[in-house]
Amino acid sequence: MSPYDPGSVVKVIRAPAPGAVRGAYRVFGETLRGLKTTFMRVVEGPITIQYPEEKTPVYPRFRGRHKLHRFETSDPANPGLEKCVGCSLCAAACPADCIRVVAAENTPDNRVSAGERYAAVYEINLSRCIFCGYCEIACPFDAITMGHDYEMSDYTRSDLIFTKEMLLAEPIERTPLRREGE
Amino acid sequence: MPRPERKTIQLTIDGREVQAIEGTMLVDAAKQADVEIPYFCYEPKLGNPVGACRMCLVEIEGIPKLQTSCSTPVKDGMVVHTRTERVRHAQNAVVEFLLVNHPLDCPVCDKGGECPLQDITFGWGLGHSRVIEPKRHFVKPLALSPLVAIDRERCILCYRCVRFSQEISEDYQLIFTERGSHAFVATHDGHPYVAPFSGNIVELCPVGALTAQPYRFRARPWDIEGGAGVCTLCPSQCNVTFTVRDEKVMRVLARDNEGVDDGWLCDKGRFAYQAIHVDERITRPLVRDAGVLRPTSWERALEAAAGLARHRGRVGTIVGGQASNEEGLLLARLSREALGSSDIDSRGMAGSGEAGAPIPADLARVLAAPALQASVPDIEFAHTVLLLGCDPRDDAPILDLRIRKGVRRHGVRLAIATARPTALEANAKLGVRCEPGGEGRLAAALAQAIDGTVDAGAPAEIAELAQLLRDGGEDVVILYGERIGAEGAAALVRIARALRLAERDGAGLICLPAGANGRGLREAGAVPDAGPGHGELDGPAGRGCAEIAEAAATGEITALHLFGTDPVRELPDRALWRRAMRSAALVVAHASVLTEGLAEHATVVFPAESHAEKDGTVVHPDGRLQRLRIAIAHPGEVRPGWAVLAELARRCGLETGVRHAVDAFEQLVAAVPVYEGLTLEEIGGGGVRWPERPQASALAPGEPTTTGGEAPSGDGRAPDAAAASNGALRLGTYRPLWAAPECEISPSLKFLVPRQRLELSPADARRLGIDDGAEVVVAQNGTRLNATAVVRTGVQEGSAFLAQGLAADSANELTEPTIEVSAR
Ligand code: SF4
Ligand code: SF4
Ligand code: SF4
Ligand code: SF4
Ligand code: FES
Repeated sequence: MSPYDPGSVVKVIRAPAPGAVRGAYRVFGETLRGLKTTFMRVVEGPITIQYPEEKTPVYPRFRGRHKLHRFETSDPANPGLEKCVGCSLCAAACPADCIRVVAAENTPDNRVSAGERYAAVYEINLSRCIFCGYCEIACPFDAITMGHDYEMSDYTRSDLIFTKEMLLAEPIERTPLRREGE
Repeated sequence: MPRPERKTIQLTIDGREVQAIEGTMLVDAAKQADVEIPYFCYEPKLGNPVGACRMCLVEIEGIPKLQTSCSTPVKDGMVVHTRTERVRHAQNAVVEFLLVNHPLDCPVCDKGGECPLQDITFGWGLGHSRVIEPKRHFVKPLALSPLVAIDRERCILCYRCVRFSQEISEDYQLIFTERGSHAFVATHDGHPYVAPFSGNIVELCPVGALTAQPYRFRARPWDIEGGAGVCTLCPSQCNVTFTVRDEKVMRVLARDNEGVDDGWLCDKGRFAYQAIHVDERITRPLVRDAGVLRPTSWERALEAAAGLARHRGRVGTIVGGQASNEEGLLLARLSREALGSSDIDSRGMAGSGEAGAPIPADLARVLAAPALQASVPDIEFAHTVLLLGCDPRDDAPILDLRIRKGVRRHGVRLAIATARPTALEANAKLGVRCEPGGEGRLAAALAQAIDGTVDAGAPAEIAELAQLLRDGGEDVVILYGERIGAEGAAALVRIARALRLAERDGAGLICLPAGANGRGLREAGAVPDAGPGHGELDGPAGRGCAEIAEAAATGEITALHLFGTDPVRELPDRALWRRAMRSAALVVAHASVLTEGLAEHATVVFPAESHAEKDGTVVHPDGRLQRLRIAIAHPGEVRPGWAVLAELARRCGLETGVRHAVDAFEQLVAAVPVYEGLTLEEIGGGGVRWPERPQASALAPGEPTTTGGEAPSGDGRAPDAAAASNGALRLGTYRPLWAAPECEISPSLKFLVPRQRLELSPADARRLGIDDGAEVVVAQNGTRLNATAVVRTGVQEGSAFLAQGLAADSANELTEPTIEVSAR
């Protein structure tokens, strides 16, 4: 017999049943005590956020959907080189194993990044990502950062695999940031 | 020289009592005792340590200065400290020093993640540097050769690559130029470093200075898996690890096996993996339909191939050298049991062309006697090594390195008796040339000189060779090519008896077969004149390759079954094979690439497996059974070879009972007496040599019934007088390492695929007015080949050599023993 065997008879211990006065207090008194907080807050007005028409603002360091970055240029028609060199360090750091990088070599006619190599394939499976931000920390070139976007639901799982193009593009809907002191 | 005896001594490392073999280096002794000492330049495979990097400094009591543990042999009673403040300070300083000029571009460096410099900097470095001066810069990335990229900024000047080139492969191409902090690795005049073993420097380099071009940026260590396998592109059967990403082989690394490859690979084995994933590869069954090979279903292809059963008794089977033992056994069963034909041959080039009759079964059995088998390490520790009718550089390249190692480090005396000068000529103590095809006669003359049947009158060179073999120490290892033929094999039996090779552990024979698994296929019974395990056949012997071709051309054989080979491409006498394949009513082939013969004549082509996909066993020339394992999934519709053969046999009316690869292995073990009781576990990762197992005694060699014939008229050395007199040259052939379809379709090996070269002696070149490098036309019976002349001093006057197995202008087109040469 294991030392933790409770035996075959199980005894249930109950509190004694309340009397009439105590029972009535339980029903009305306790309820009113709870409602006190409610009535006190009514004067403050509603604070419900009407999502999705209205969005919750996030803190600046909130870890939302990732973004890949380019070097800035003043000419919008001629975007800068990608910062990512396809080193796969983010993939190595990722605890959810949801980043896939396939690197390729830059050539003079096809220069994609500033280094010798670039990411020919860069995919993040957002359905697996746990938004820990390790990829951002691992990246030696600040090429990947965690953005603020948290709206990522979709109808199929495969649509949650974000490709390099999707990650490089500016998100259409910007998530509001929390203001100072908010 | 025989292996030296070593005694064990005691020393103390970091307070631990450590036992070590006398003469081991401190760093190795420490490793055995689980004490880690960081190092860069030390690599025992490269021979004596050089102490170039100073990373391995330790403190030894009684010696005032820190010592390099990589070059300090252990001594009895030594007391060593590896963790003191002084040592730590030195290690920090060395790391800082090595990083003075190092770019630290790990994110774009291919070595990142598996780089000793990263690990050691992390583990033994200070974490910061005081150096603010600019680093040195080189142009990068730069191609050292089409296969290797060099980044000189990353080089830490450890000497490993240079030592490999100078002391291991002895191609003497890589050097350090400039001095001090300006030093960098280069070739003498900046020419590309192209050598048969160049890829090894990529694995040796402890940093990302040397990287493989085909692997450039393909994957990171955390993206990949390793699959242990065996390279079956030549008989060396090197042990390899396939680096696999997304079910694709990305690179091939050496898997050290002292008994096989000593940790090296040739560039074919290292880079020809690309042939697995190219568009040229066949991945669906093809059936000829209205004259054109078209992709079809397995069902249709198998049904068409089962037509072999209608040609009962008239089917010829040719087995390519890359087939596994199990496939060999199944093919032999299919041919003998279902198709009623013993016309099956796996010996390929051997025993045809100028070489004459192949080695008959009784001689092969005697030569395969367990006591006569030398192991690969025996080459290194022998007193004398004789190369008889083979050139390891082309036939089994890794053994070339092993012989060089023996000569350089252990004082092995090398003797060479071949028609064509070998790559080892400069290392040889003695060389005897014979005319092409004269190896057999040369061996016979040598046998007579050794066993004293002719005491006087042997030519001086042969007498000298005989004396070296007889009196130069008991451990003699003879490497011979199958091209020595029946006569040479009979002579070899006599030589082995006279030298008492069977009585010494370190002495013996190694046969270099033409096919990668030539030995295993013979043992599995895929030869016309013997059953599994060199056993007797029930019926009469069948036809060999050459006779199959003739019989098919004349209509006696009406169907051909070609497993992993295209005879038009691979075998001598292309014209005959073209006729044979055209006349055959049914040609069933298993192939990865459509080479000429298959593209034009095959009726059914099954997609064949590559060596990274196969499950089976192969036998190394020294008798080591090795296991091929599945490293990647079969691409496309490719099916395992054993499964296709078992299904084909079923449709031809033979229930083989093979439902799984293991069944085929078990049948093999049951069929071959010397493999008795063998399990896949016993073979394991490193293989097992059957001549060393007790069951090897099941092979009773017996007495050969074939003798070398009457006393030979010549000794094979003198060129044919008739040939020389009318200006014609005697033709010898060889198979270059790179003449393989795998190299032709591997993108980065294409540049190595040979064009035809005519090798001739300086005297003949002068007589014919041909300069080195001139374009010439080789003619014979109306067949004309284009070639580039190469004047080689080692070539005997009156002889000339052409390469076999090329796609165009190949020596396989020629059939006669002599050729006419004229300038183009
Ligand atoms: S946030 Fe974390 S889980 Fe998500 S991709 Fe980055 S490392 Fe992986
Ligand atoms: S995002 Fe950064 S860490 Fe990831 S592959 Fe690109 S450069 Fe490397
Ligand atoms: S290239 Fe590599 S192996 Fe050669 S000296 Fe430099 S660091 Fe050593
Ligand atoms: S020597 Fe032969 S077995 Fe070894 S890697 Fe080269 S081709 Fe493969
Ligand atoms: S490993 Fe000892 S000096 Fe380099």
